[in-house]
Amino acid sequence: MRLIRRWGPWLLLVICLALPVLVKQPAWLDMLQFTFMYAAMSVGWDIMGGYAGYPSIGHVGFFGMSSYVAGLLLVHFGVNIFASALLVGLFGSLVGAGLGFISLRTRGPAFLIVTLVFALTVQMLAENLNALTGGTSGLYLPLLDLPPDVVILPFYYAMLALTVLAVATSTFIRASRFGLGLLAIREDEGKAEGSGINTALYKILAFAVSVFFASVAGALHAQYLNYVDPDLAFEFIIGLNMVVMALVGSRATPWGGVLGAVIMFPISQLLVYTLPDKFSGQVPLVELGILLILIPMFLPDGIIKSLERWAERRRRRPRVPSTDTFAPAPVGAP
Amino acid sequence: MTQVLVQGLVFGLLAGGVYALMSSGMSMIFGVMRMVNLGHAAIMLTGSYIAVTLLQQLGVDPLLSIPIIVAAFLVVGALFERGVLGRFIGGDLALAVLVTLGVANILEGGQGVIWTSRFYTIRTGYSFNTFNLFGLYIPLIRIIAAAEAAVLLVALWLILSRTNLGRSIRATIQNRSVAQLVGVNVARVTMIAFAIGVAMAGAAGPLMGMLYTWYPDSHWLWGGKIVAIIILGGLSSLRGALLASMILGVAEQFVTLGIDVRWAPMVFYIFLLVVMLFRPQGLLGSVNRGLA
Repeated sequence: MRLIRRWGPWLLLVICLALPVLVKQPAWLDMLQFTFMYAAMSVGWDIMGGYAGYPSIGHVGFFGMSSYVAGLLLVHFGVNIFASALLVGLFGSLVGAGLGFISLRTRGPAFLIVTLVFALTVQMLAENLNALTGGTSGLYLPLLDLPPDVVILPFYYAMLALTVLAVATSTFIRASRFGLGLLAIREDEGKAEGSGINTALYKILAFAVSVFFASVAGALHAQYLNYVDPDLAFEFIIGLNMVVMALVGSRATPWGGVLGAVIMFPISQLLVYTLPDKFSGQVPLVELGILLILIPMFLPDGIIKSLERWAERRRRRPRVPSTDTFAPAPVGAP
Repeated sequence: MTQVLVQGLVFGLLAGGVYALMSSGMSMIFGVMRMVNLGHAAIMLTGSYIAVTLLQQLGVDPLLSIPIIVAAFLVVGALFERGVLGRFIGGDLALAVLVTLGVANILEGGQGVIWTSRFYTIRTGYSFNTFNLFGLYIPLIRIIAAAEAAVLLVALWLILSRTNLGRSIRATIQNRSVAQLVGVNVARVTMIAFAIGVAMAGAAGPLMGMLYTWYPDSHWLWGGKIVAIIILGGLSSLRGALLASMILGVAEQFVTLGIDVRWAPMVFYIFLLVVMLFRPQGLLGSVNRGLA
């Protein structure tokens, strides 16, 4: 078990690095690329939604905003998106910190509402500022100058790198004083504040880190589609997926989002492609909706934590029945 | 100029009445449960769809469909609170909020399957009649919608101020544990208040449907407006929600008349951000209410 914990992640990384050599079909690489994208965003979401216990439903706003920022940088200044993605991510964090300053100085639901309204606001700006964004007809980006059979590889490795960065950040935060402070905020914000934690600052920082990953992913995704429009960039399903994947995997764990994405993304794809056309457009919505009700009711801790608890119970249970307890003799025995 | 100002004011106040109906239910649900009901607008749209279907299939006037919707939504709301949402009270409210988000998705997806993604609106025989008030032509449906909203809001106010149930609800909003201490059955009161809130959302549906066009995805737009209203009003303050509805209704009309209808929802978002910056407890909210 300890061996898996120590070397498992590295083994997984090596496998992921080598996969494009073995798997050549673009459809599979496309699915893996998206799985990494969601894994990174979900792990990022969890830093705010899991550790600090403040669920955001507006991360998709950062995803979409960054799609536009990176797209506009490319169209107007010719900046390659792979070069600008990290900077666009930092810009997202800066906006996140500003939004946090507005909504996180107080406790409670204001944050959730402000994140929702932020996503709606940025989408509306993208729709209505025609001169800048092209309005509802969208923004066409120049294609990458690569042959079609390898064009997916840069995205594959970039999203993989983003996932690794997200898991590493989350692991680091979890082990740090900062992470401990966030967990304290989730448990009891009043007491956390009383014990000397600057709760507002902690929450704002956590949110800034949290949206970084959605922002970078949004920038890369714009180039992946070679196209940005208000409906695609701000598709609410993207934001919902982050939340549900973190819930499925387990909140407040570095790997929860990864596990959630690995389980959920392929299943959603399968459902979309196998169900009749009449339903397929609505399937992801209904599927995520049902999960959002069932998981909190029946598996509130997610898969990882539930498994850990199960393993813990198993480990404590003695293997050999202890000798100081005897079963009562069967009735009627001689 | 005066014409525009008067028109903006009158239209804004009439729209504000409908907004008040939409948001008062959400405000009350937040009050008793300390939880933002993200499904509120999707529930409202369900009411709109039911009304338009009753009108098209059976010829039921949308105003007559309101009592039917209220009765049905009271039952469904109570069952949902008892079966699902009630479990999370006193526990992890973040999960409860996500459950209501799930409700919004299921409703939106279900509406997309049943009614498809095309635009709907409720057209009745009197949809294009106007009413002449001192030279200002006001569409009759705007007056009807505002009047109907006023009737329902007065009914809610009577329940809250004149009955024992209303006193229990107000006590639970003010302080849940103390209300329990003095003998209020807070679990039952919460269930009833949630059911009333859901029914108010449903009742707003036909009125919204007479005034605007909508499709399943519209609930995000309406949800954004409603949350802005209840934040401006002070979350669990019903009077605050009423005041905020009027302010935002008028401000929205001025933007529509003066700038462009496309920017109208922005009024709500800007108000929300400004309020969060300078008066996080809202207009009529108290400082320590927003916990959890």
